[in-house]
Amino acid sequence: MSAGCDHGDGCITCGDVAEPLRVVSLDAERELALCEDGAGRRETVEVALVAPVALGEELLVHAGTAIARPGAPQ
Amino acid sequence: MKFVEEFRDPELGAALAAQIASLAEPGRHYKLMEICGGHTHAIYRYGLDDLLPDQVEMVHGPGCPVCVIPMGRVDDGIAIAAHDGVTLACFGDMMRVPGSERTLLEAKAAGADVRVVYSPLDALRLAKANPDREVVFFAIGFETTAPSTALTLRRARAERVGNFSCFCNHVTIVPPLRALLTSPELSLEGFVGPGHVATVVGARPFEFIPAEHGKPFVVSGFEPLDVLQSIEMLLRQLREGRCEVENQYRRVVPYEGNPAALRAMEEVFELRPHFEWRGLGTIERSALKLSAAYAEFDAELRHAVPGVRVADPEACQCGEVLKGAIKPWECRVFGTACTPEHAIGTCMVSPEGACAAYYNYGRFAREKEPA
Repeated sequence: MSAGCDHGDGCITCGDVAEPLRVVSLDAERELALCEDGAGRRETVEVALVAPVALGEELLVHAGTAIARPGAPQ
Repeated sequence: MKFVEEFRDPELGAALAAQIASLAEPGRHYKLMEICGGHTHAIYRYGLDDLLPDQVEMVHGPGCPVCVIPMGRVDDGIAIAAHDGVTLACFGDMMRVPGSERTLLEAKAAGADVRVVYSPLDALRLAKANPDREVVFFAIGFETTAPSTALTLRRARAERVGNFSCFCNHVTIVPPLRALLTSPELSLEGFVGPGHVATVVGARPFEFIPAEHGKPFVVSGFEPLDVLQSIEMLLRQLREGRCEVENQYRRVVPYEGNPAALRAMEEVFELRPHFEWRGLGTIERSALKLSAAYAEFDAELRHAVPGVRVADPEACQCGEVLKGAIKPWECRVFGTACTPEHAIGTCMVSPEGACAAYYNYGRFAREKEPA
């Protein structure tokens, strides 16, 4: 089981849940970012839906895709 | 992390609970539905139901995309995985959803190549790393997850990954809500709305609920204070005689949704004429399939699937739980024949399922009522 589907802590993917992750490096051309959670776990994230994003910015990530920039002006 | 700790403050939670209690009119019973499995999970994980006055009852809606997958579609997924040369990639929770004869986990134990992935992008990566395998992504989820699948399919087409395809089981949230609202078994006062679905589709698609059905609707975040504040906003609307869509989760949800996500979905998917929902029956225009432009990536066109409709097990009352007609512990097999380890119904499989949430967090606090 992946970390996201740990039975003890809910399933991020199917529970309509998104995880706050911080951008640590960017591949703007391919619209991908390497992001990190509070515990230092890293994953590659699609950022096309919230582009442009900045290094250090916090994103809400669902199933490997950033769906929102919390606190960004709307 | 911002926006997490400050939304778990116990003192503010107690203050909100007191406000909820003061808004509840004496002698009136409030039955509110949280649509989303993530909210169900938050309510039980943080014990929010213990903070609510007895008059406020939370009913758990159909918002878990694992809970609503019918057995026939699980069988189809297993049939695809059984083909020579196929690797089936799916989210972890799908592994234990019962098909008519077995789960994907059991199919894997019997030799099928089934892999757990965290994202559609991981499934595409698997295809690129294994060019001799046909990698099929078992796509599930509401509008929160569908854009992720859409972006991956766009990427697969741009990068010409010929050994990748998608078994699409994405569903849309509004049609089952319409079906629920016209169900005679249902009596609700208001809705806690799905926050992350709304991040994609916005709050506007839910306006029919107050306008046509006279029920207030509050789009809600997932931290404990988000959920409590949303309940407070619903009770305030009822107290003041208002009935509208409100957005509690404004730090994340734009009222009009995410235009880039909606465009990606429109390009990659089209509505199926009808789709079967576990416990709710067939609902028109309630699910997505790949559009003609992406037909080459449609696993149902590439691999034969049985497509047989399978009736839900007789003992299972998931349908009534999903409609909010009974509480999970009122199901005749809850916690006895049906447990997270040996689930009969899908509401027990996913941790977001109403039954699993009760089983894991609340079963000792309640006496099982006779069926």
